[in-house]
Amino acid sequence: MSGLRRALALVAIEAIVVGLVALAIVLSSDHVDARGANAAIGLFLGWSFVGTGLYAWWRRPDNRFGVLMTAVGFAFFLGSLTAADASWLFTIGVLLSNLYLAVFAHMLLAYPDGRIDSPRVRKVLAAGYGLAIVGPLPTLMLADLQDEGCTNCPDSAISLGDHGVLYTILDVLTSAVAVVIVGYILYMLVQRWQAASQPQRRAMAPVTWSGICLLVVLVGQLTTMAVNGPDALENATSLLGLIFFALTPYGFLFGLLRSRVVQASAVSELLRRMGDASDGTTLRELLSKALGDRSLQVVYWLEEARKWVDASGRPASLPAEDDPARAWTAVERDGRRVGAIVHDRTLCEDEELIRSVAAAAGLSIENERLQAQLRARVEELRRSRARIVEAGTAERRRLERNLHDGAQQRLVALSLTLRLAQGRLRKDPDGAENLLGGAQDELGRALEELRELARGIHPAVLSDRGLKAALEALAGRSPVPVELERTPPERLPAPVEAAAYFVVAEALTNVVKYANASQARISVTRSNGHAVVEVADDGVGGADPGRGSGLRGLADRISALDGTMVLTSPEGAGTLLRAEIPV
Amino acid sequence: MAHRILIVDDHPSFRASARVVLESEGFDVVGEAVDGASALHECCRLRPEVVLLDVQLPDIDGFNVCERITAYAEHPTVIMTSSRDGSDFGPLITTSGACGFVPKAELSGERVQELLGP
Repeated sequence: MSGLRRALALVAIEAIVVGLVALAIVLSSDHVDARGANAAIGLFLGWSFVGTGLYAWWRRPDNRFGVLMTAVGFAFFLGSLTAADASWLFTIGVLLSNLYLAVFAHMLLAYPDGRIDSPRVRKVLAAGYGLAIVGPLPTLMLADLQDEGCTNCPDSAISLGDHGVLYTILDVLTSAVAVVIVGYILYMLVQRWQAASQPQRRAMAPVTWSGICLLVVLVGQLTTMAVNGPDALENATSLLGLIFFALTPYGFLFGLLRSRVVQASAVSELLRRMGDASDGTTLRELLSKALGDRSLQVVYWLEEARKWVDASGRPASLPAEDDPARAWTAVERDGRRVGAIVHDRTLCEDEELIRSVAAAAGLSIENERLQAQLRARVEELRRSRARIVEAGTAERRRLERNLHDGAQQRLVALSLTLRLAQGRLRKDPDGAENLLGGAQDELGRALEELRELARGIHPAVLSDRGLKAALEALAGRSPVPVELERTPPERLPAPVEAAAYFVVAEALTNVVKYANASQARISVTRSNGHAVVEVADDGVGGADPGRGSGLRGLADRISALDGTMVLTSPEGAGTLLRAEIPV
Repeated sequence: MAHRILIVDDHPSFRASARVVLESEGFDVVGEAVDGASALHECCRLRPEVVLLDVQLPDIDGFNVCERITAYAEHPTVIMTSSRDGSDFGPLITTSGACGFVPKAELSGERVQELLGP
């Protein structure tokens, strides 16, 4: 037997003993009417709370709700002391006779998670406990108990004599304070009900509503007493209050039973409908119905990309550990994580239900995960394709601009200069000669710019002489010393050579622009069916992969060939750009 | 009397060549501007009779500059120029208020005079 079980068994034995003592006190009382009925009802109510409380305690040891419900039962037994014939026992009994109501309110306010976090609620509860103890003092100290309808009652052990007027004033005052406190607790319960989500309400309903009804009756009862209403009404409200009080533990058990039945039928319904593919209902809708949570979401785990996505393949995020409203439950299949159900946090209370549903949905989620994975790939391809098209357009814009601003302007100036020279040829041959000299220089610069531009579009040496020659030329033109370490001896497919060339060209441009390096090295090797291109420098590092469109465009170009590109650039330790392209 | 002309272009090599060409054919080049904003400013300051205006300027589009210049009551005559062909611009040249277009490579005092009329 575990420690918890032993402790609970001990509490149960105590409850039996306390109940039997209470029974004996009531049965032997000389001032209680209908002793048999009173004793039986008292025993039934006390044991109902203790029994149900112990069950809840055993089921959820971390949740203090079970402890509180057990405490209500014991506090209720304390009230039996009012039946005692000994004066001091009777006095203690009256003093503690309302304590069970304060514990009951505590239990209601702590339901269903067993905690009270709000300081405001704690203050109200403290006032409730205080009033429960202090409330009977005026009766015990200032009233004549025989006059108050308690014929044959023993005398109060703390009586100060009969002070009718003072007693009436204090009694009305305590009743009024009690009405305010109970009314405020009612208000908080109703407010909490209104703020609750659908699954929360389902969990709260039986206990909260029987509690609310009891408190409403209690407010009525206190008001009747304060205004000294007719006895018949007082008796009727007492009976009604007793019924609602008695209903509370059974409401709790009913809630549990219902969630068991709901759980079993939800899982079997889920399995049946998931098998019926023609239905047209989505998995999300099925799970949402099975768990009674309309806000439910299903997300899928992509192992390769190590990220969560929704059904359309877009990145999704999970609620944080401490999110007060939302939680998630992982769905696994054959020990592999395939997805997660994101749901209302209240469902965590019903762990078995959510686990059964998650297990039942495993296969379907695995199937949908594959679809989501496909959609995520399609989405990434679509984006990459759009970027390639955009990069193409941007490249054409850049070429047009370079042609227009560079060679074209030089040729325009050249044309004007030649016309001027032509005009001066006869009148001013020396001037014409100067102009022609200038034109010669301008033409040289235009040619150089055109060459540079043509190389940027596609280097002829690459097509004609291969990667080694093209990279040597690139290294030779770089202002930073570049060592070409290795190149494959054979030719690679043209798209691979072009991609490798532009990786090196872009990397060297970045080395010159940003790295502040003293040297760089290039290597192109073949390994495991891939061309591996590496450009490393000894510069300042700290390069940002998102910087500029150059690297992004290159990454797209390489991913279009099913390759990958990785930039490693720790602060102060140089930069390494590595691309792997399948050959 | 020689026409007072303002040259607006962001390429210094063209501005220099155009100045030599126009001055050698009797035009009085009163100033140069490198972008749209300074073109508008120089127009007010120098009050030229003719503005030789490049279509593609770094800040404001040349046609837009032309519309602003020709919106004044006593505005100079604007002649658009570009290293592109005039047909690239469709009806923009006439709708912008310019009096005509000269391709940069064909710029001469004679072509400008033809557009200005007798």
